[in-house]
Amino acid sequence: MIKGRLPLVVAVLGILPFVVGNAYLQHMLVLWAIYALLALSLNMIVGYLGELTFGHAAFFGIGAYTSAILSMNYGLPVWLGPFAAAIVAAFFGAVIGYVALRIVGPQFAILTLGFGSILYTITNYWVDLTRGPMGISNIPPFSLPGLDIDFTRADRMYYVALVVLLLVAYGCRALMTSRTGRAFIAVRENAPLAASTGIDVFHTKLLGFTIATALAGVGGALYGHYLRVITPDLMSLQYVAALIIMVIVGGKGTIIGPIIGAGIYVALLEALRVVGSLRLVVFAALLTLCVIFLPGGLVSLWRRYAGRQAAGGAS
Amino acid sequence: MAKNDILLSVEGLTRRFGGLVAVSDVELSVARGEILGLIGPNGAGKTTVFNMLGGTFPPSSGRIRFDGTDVTGWPSHRMAQLGLTRTFQITSLFPTLSVLENVRAASFRRAKTGWAGAFFRTRAWREDEAALARRAEEILDFVALGHRRDMPAQALPYGEQRKLEIAVALGADPTLLLLDEPAAGMNPDEGAKLVQMIRAIRDRGVSVLLVEHHMKVVMGVCDRLVVLDHGVKIAEGQPQAVASHPEVIRVYLGREKVGA
Repeated sequence: MIKGRLPLVVAVLGILPFVVGNAYLQHMLVLWAIYALLALSLNMIVGYLGELTFGHAAFFGIGAYTSAILSMNYGLPVWLGPFAAAIVAAFFGAVIGYVALRIVGPQFAILTLGFGSILYTITNYWVDLTRGPMGISNIPPFSLPGLDIDFTRADRMYYVALVVLLLVAYGCRALMTSRTGRAFIAVRENAPLAASTGIDVFHTKLLGFTIATALAGVGGALYGHYLRVITPDLMSLQYVAALIIMVIVGGKGTIIGPIIGAGIYVALLEALRVVGSLRLVVFAALLTLCVIFLPGGLVSLWRRYAGRQAAGGAS
Repeated sequence: MAKNDILLSVEGLTRRFGGLVAVSDVELSVARGEILGLIGPNGAGKTTVFNMLGGTFPPSSGRIRFDGTDVTGWPSHRMAQLGLTRTFQITSLFPTLSVLENVRAASFRRAKTGWAGAFFRTRAWREDEAALARRAEEILDFVALGHRRDMPAQALPYGEQRKLEIAVALGADPTLLLLDEPAAGMNPDEGAKLVQMIRAIRDRGVSVLLVEHHMKVVMGVCDRLVVLDHGVKIAEGQPQAVASHPEVIRVYLGREKVGA
């Protein structure tokens, strides 16, 4: 869809903070980039492996806590935080995936819900490590070695999040043109047939799940160092629901879809601030409408339009 | 026949489901370059044998040797990695992928470069991709689906879906192809074309084990037949000899004239 126009898209994304001009909108851009990264990681499970998970926010939270705790209590340089977060989140992802991926479909989704709740509860009650429901505050802002850049400013942090987002998006694109990614898709489409062509279904799923949780960990670390306050609520169902909405509304199984979905979520969240909790109803309605009328998400509208154009041009 | 000419050999293959013995002490072998037919009336245990050979479930007892390796009880994907690929009785494709992508998705065994190669667009990755694409195109041409390459698999008519299934199986680069009732639901004309295709598959150097109901297909294409009834092998040999075997005539009596 954006083939050939990629440099333009990157350029536009690059100058966005200057275009929007004010700090509040720049703050929303950072949130968008981080959410887009998280949505892409969830998309790997929902869109590529074809399994629904309700536990994804837990890995987001694990990443945020890992990076915050290591940098505050153990002197880990902040720029290494996202890497540490990826490793720890991937570890939890691999262990939970190893157990949960033996079953499929709704049972898998329910199991991930259970594991997510367990991690949430542990975070809430292990006060010595996580400071419990009070959360951790005064987390050091992101920093890069040898560079004196103030990443508490949204217009600076935006570029960190954007670079990570673009790297992950490119990684997803590369994945889809590799034998690893084709194995993901084959497993989603028809697991017994995939096995009959030599693909180890369980290991393929475990690999995808672990990578996805590692990326969620990276997103969590960036989020924590940006907002500088984290609470166990990061792991709550509210975030799970938000990520699922981004992926489904944007378009699962695509790269641009979850990125757009994240943008819509962040924009609506702010636009609907006046209606308070009622916005959750709006999100629910949006999700329901998408599932029923637009199962391919918003990006499928483009494909329909482009398809019609192509058909019209040919006739 | 020299020992290493045997591609697949099965000894004492038995499968029990609770108290029911579905397959009992079956022995069979497939030579390199051979097309072996496994036939028998409904409930004879053909599919059970097939599922054990394809790795869907392990045998209760017995041995399966493939290409010099004991593969007894191996799961499906390990069998396939060794070159033993199965198809499915009910049409089984990657439904939302294009026809071409279906074959490419099946080329896992052939592809060498993984994600890292794709990320850095290495030369090895580019060469691998180009080779896979060429091979997928060649296989599609082989099953006469080249003109459908960009169509979603689920949009194909039934007969072409069955052809695509064979293309997907060939994409996995087998040395032995297990075909589970490929002629199911085909009309006589399509059946005749299928016979030609199975012969052409053998000419590509792929041995074939065929489980089939359609006698015309079986008689037309198989070098040798193994007949099962009630889980027991009752006859084996050249198609014409088997068709006149008294036991075979007895079990098929009243169902269908053998060789018709």
